[in-house]
Amino acid sequence: MWRFALRESGQFVLGLFGALLMAAAISALSSDHRGVPGTFAATVSRLLAFLQLDFGSSAISGTSAAQELAAHAPVTLTLVTLGLLIAVLLAGPLGLLLSSVAMRRATAPVIQIVSAAPVFCAGLVLAFIARKFLGWVPGGGEFPSVPQILHPDNSVFRLIVLPGLTVGLSGMAAIQVALRRAASETQDEPFRNGLRRLGLSVMEIDRVYIAPMVFAGLFASFGEVVLALLSAAVVSEWVFKCPGVADLFVKSVALHDWNVAALILFFFAAIVLFANFAGRLASEAIVSAGRAA
Amino acid sequence: MNATPVFRRILVAVSWSGLGLIAVAVVLSDFLARAAAGTAHIGPLLDPPSAQFPFGTDQLGRDILSETLHAMNVTVVHALPAALLAIVTGSVFGFVAARLSPPLRLPLRWAMGVFAAVPALLLAILLIGLTERGYAAVAAGLAAAPIAFVRAFDRAQMSGKSVHAEYARATGIAPAALLRRDLAYEVRDTLLATTARAFAAVTIILATVSFLGFGAVPPHRDFGLMIAAAKPVYVQAWWTAAFPALALLIVILLARLAAGLDEGERA
Repeated sequence: MWRFALRESGQFVLGLFGALLMAAAISALSSDHRGVPGTFAATVSRLLAFLQLDFGSSAISGTSAAQELAAHAPVTLTLVTLGLLIAVLLAGPLGLLLSSVAMRRATAPVIQIVSAAPVFCAGLVLAFIARKFLGWVPGGGEFPSVPQILHPDNSVFRLIVLPGLTVGLSGMAAIQVALRRAASETQDEPFRNGLRRLGLSVMEIDRVYIAPMVFAGLFASFGEVVLALLSAAVVSEWVFKCPGVADLFVKSVALHDWNVAALILFFFAAIVLFANFAGRLASEAIVSAGRAA
Repeated sequence: MNATPVFRRILVAVSWSGLGLIAVAVVLSDFLARAAAGTAHIGPLLDPPSAQFPFGTDQLGRDILSETLHAMNVTVVHALPAALLAIVTGSVFGFVAARLSPPLRLPLRWAMGVFAAVPALLLAILLIGLTERGYAAVAAGLAAAPIAFVRAFDRAQMSGKSVHAEYARATGIAPAALLRRDLAYEVRDTLLATTARAFAAVTIILATVSFLGFGAVPPHRDFGLMIAAAKPVYVQAWWTAAFPALALLIVILLARLAAGLDEGERA
């Protein structure tokens, strides 16, 4: 386990360095250097500045890129956290309901249909239902702060529920995909028959041996789930006019504000790399605990 | 899907037939459509679906059925080269890269792993921002490539450790010959599925970047741009967004089913 953790930590640090290098190359676009040697020099210069936590300043507002990110990150992180909560709450019972092989096979085309819907279409459908049937106006106010979300009143609830649901549904689809993959991998494990011959019931085998393997598989795909949540947050912020990081990224690229765009890409990549790292560690811990038991 | 092989084969065949029909509709879109792309005031503004206008009209009086056919043409024509680019720079390059010497393959895997950690949508937006909106197809193809690369790389590494690979090495078969053999089998076994999978992935990216204002350029509207244009009015006139969204969903779904995606696989 420790060797595995060490190797994963090394890969995580290397990944972060790669993301920093990518961000430095993008940030170098804002410099006046031209040609390969000039761009290379600018990239190295930006990388050294990044290592000293100097991420440059926004070409639009003039404030530092880090300040821009800090001002917008809470909205995105709130949406992603909310989406993850909704995804887990919905995917858990659904996963149990669809856990049998027959149900999994029967619902496979439905899952394909659900995951084929682009996120912006799902967001627009939710907004349509809310406006047409509930009379809500999405994006009609300032995005609430974390304390307001923890004690939401009616207006706060209206502001966060649609973008949160859009991100959550996308996350739920990603969790379902990961769960189904893990479940189908364990479906033909040879030890199932052996344990049956030893007299264990299917329920016992599933609970004691299969469930940990499925959860380990789910955690191993945690990076993929977070990637899906972040992608959904990008679209959700645009559809529901939430002033988050993704919204800032779209505006930064449109206005060629490369310092801010670079920092945002690094921010997203770092979150996904960390989720991948943490998920793989948790997965290995579950598998190790299972082996020890 | 992990359905029975017969059902699965039928589903894949039906999906390819559906994609074939879409290809015919794309080729004949100029003949099938009642009006040229972007022709306004064909009918009354925001007219609901009727016998005269089966999909209704939009806020400029454009026939939505005609516009949907033209949008399908734009979407498919952009998605095909994008999918090809994603296959070549992702799947094929990833498969070959896995068999290179460690000093070459490890940095490649590392770099592509970093790009794969960024949402493909953001990569596509960045690439379009660095070039121009006319390059949306190239951007979508390159944005989808890192995940395809990582997937193909890992599969090629596993096949490199298989029994037949060990046997080939033990009997003195050159690595290049083994790579050619494995690549030929990989192409033979997965080309159709990989193409359909890549097509589904880049179609989603292209539609979304157009929705965000980075993709197709008017008057050549794709599904994303049509839906974006319908956004201010679609609550009162649902048909302005519903039909292009449904057409987009059908294209993506058929591609995913044609890929015969296994349980737990993503396009």
